[in-house]
Amino acid sequence: MALVEIHRLTKHYRKGDEVLTPLDDVDLEIDRGEFVSLMGPSGSGKSTLLNLLAGIDRADSGRIVVNGTDITQLARGTLADWRAAHLGYIFQTHNLVPVLTTYENVELPLLLLPMSRAERRKRVALALEAVGLTDRVSHYPRQLSGGQEQRVGIARAIVAHPAIIVADEPTGNLDAETSGQIQLLLQRLNAELGMTMLMVTHDADVAAIAGRQLRLERGKVLSGAPAEEPREAAGGPAGSGRPHFANPQADDCPQGFE
Amino acid sequence: MFRFTPYLLKNLWRHRTRSLLTVSGAAVALFVFCFVGAVQEGLDQLTGDRQAERTLVVFQENRFCPTTSRLPQDYARRIAALDGVAGVVPIQAYTNNCRASLDVVVFHGMPADKLRSARRLEVAAGGWAAFEGRRDAALVGANVARRRGLQPGAQFTIGEVSVYVAGVFRSAVAAEDSLIYTHLDFLQRTQGVEATGQVTQLEVQLAEGAEPESVAAAIDETFHAGPVATTTRGKGVFQTSTLADLVDLVGFARLLGYGCLGLVLALVATTTVMAVQDRVRQHAVLETIGLRPGRLFRLIVAESVLVCLLGGVVGTLLALAALEWGGLSVGVEGITVAFRPSLHLSALGLLISLLVGILAGVIPAWQTARTRIVDALRQG
Repeated sequence: MALVEIHRLTKHYRKGDEVLTPLDDVDLEIDRGEFVSLMGPSGSGKSTLLNLLAGIDRADSGRIVVNGTDITQLARGTLADWRAAHLGYIFQTHNLVPVLTTYENVELPLLLLPMSRAERRKRVALALEAVGLTDRVSHYPRQLSGGQEQRVGIARAIVAHPAIIVADEPTGNLDAETSGQIQLLLQRLNAELGMTMLMVTHDADVAAIAGRQLRLERGKVLSGAPAEEPREAAGGPAGSGRPHFANPQADDCPQGFE
Repeated sequence: MFRFTPYLLKNLWRHRTRSLLTVSGAAVALFVFCFVGAVQEGLDQLTGDRQAERTLVVFQENRFCPTTSRLPQDYARRIAALDGVAGVVPIQAYTNNCRASLDVVVFHGMPADKLRSARRLEVAAGGWAAFEGRRDAALVGANVARRRGLQPGAQFTIGEVSVYVAGVFRSAVAAEDSLIYTHLDFLQRTQGVEATGQVTQLEVQLAEGAEPESVAAAIDETFHAGPVATTTRGKGVFQTSTLADLVDLVGFARLLGYGCLGLVLALVATTTVMAVQDRVRQHAVLETIGLRPGRLFRLIVAESVLVCLLGGVVGTLLALAALEWGGLSVGVEGITVAFRPSLHLSALGLLISLLVGILAGVIPAWQTARTRIVDALRQG
């Protein structure tokens, strides 16, 4: 059984007198441990689909079942609880809280879960180790580079061990080299830690790191077939499934994070 | 909720100038509110005192200032013989200022034995023996002593009255802390030879079950055809009518106090709105990672309450300190209203800070909690 089942999902927007339908009866399944990328032109609805799956927007019709829970039926508060426990969200613009340190930013999602301070400390340490930022624990976002900020954002997304991670253009604001490092990190989290991911991107090279690539056009998922062997991305060997990492810090990822 | 305390404090610290200004504004407003509240409390205590209900004040008819009321002292003996009268205390009053003033000094000359029995004084420094042992001795109220820097053993002169400070007292009736008690005959003599045998007023203690109105009428009837006609009223009524102008002023000042609270409300609400507008996206991120809208609401209200409460605590403490150490009082025509700090006032100050903080935070918090996450994420 798929981890994510999206069934006949439809979303309309009203723009003046015009009604736009970025998602029109969309069906999609994502298996546990799968890494799916979603491409499409601007306004094609890829971010809308991502936000609906993340439970931060509401569909007009259809169902989204994640790990057996139909999140379209959840009330706002319950949906927030569900996000805290089951979802990791990686933003394009990092969206770190500027007044909090790296440690505190990563710890934020855990503050919403019934968890002891010791357990939180352990999990934050593991997440920061996974993204190679153990030496930036006390730094504030303004003291970090763009790539480091994004890695903090990724650590925040994975720290609660969510069922699924969604990433909205995670490399969109980064230079080519940093983008490559982040792509490798995402690949590694999927390949080594088995994290299920849905990533939205408009960059074909970035999309290629996913095991399956989809396209959204005119409200429909046009391609659902498994991708061909991923092209080489930022130094990673194509389609190896267990990529090499250019970033030596990233190689310190502990086994069995989950 | 407390897990987010560091987040809350750090956000306030990040905009520390803004936070500090808001806290200062709240502090000033609560200072004013508590100060005005203290005056009102002093006035209420003076006019609503239980003992005042069972005490009558006999004054010369159509006279208001203590310097102009002159009653023969032997009226006391004749009043004591009337039905319903338990005791009579002759009082000679002297004040440095009959008009409304913040630094009025009022002397009450009373026979020592009557002073001891009729007033609830706790002599904190010095003693009764020192008072009874000297003709020019005076027991000084704690407020006057503090305001004028008087201590036992000091000599104090104001106008034509010069006294030796035998002791400093505190009274259960706050207004009395602003009085100076002397021996009756001493104060009479300082007013000149013609003042001997004359008093400013007579204080009549009613017997159990006596009707104040009928006793007052009987007293005035007794002296209606005498050399000096009298006006007799309950002590509370007497003080209220004497302080009538002041009551209106205090009432107006109280309105200003409430106005200050309105200003704090606007100030803290503005700060909260600004803080919320600065962090629209941040709040959306918090919701995205799983913060419930209700919890976000409480977080914003908590921030507003914290700022307001901090200002409230500072303002209230400053007001209490000023009231405690300033020894302030306002007097008119020999009646003084003491400003005294009280537990009730502190509790009220803190409660109002809390309520204003909640009120100021509710609307911005409600708007934030209702904003759609995807819309908020697009902002900023």
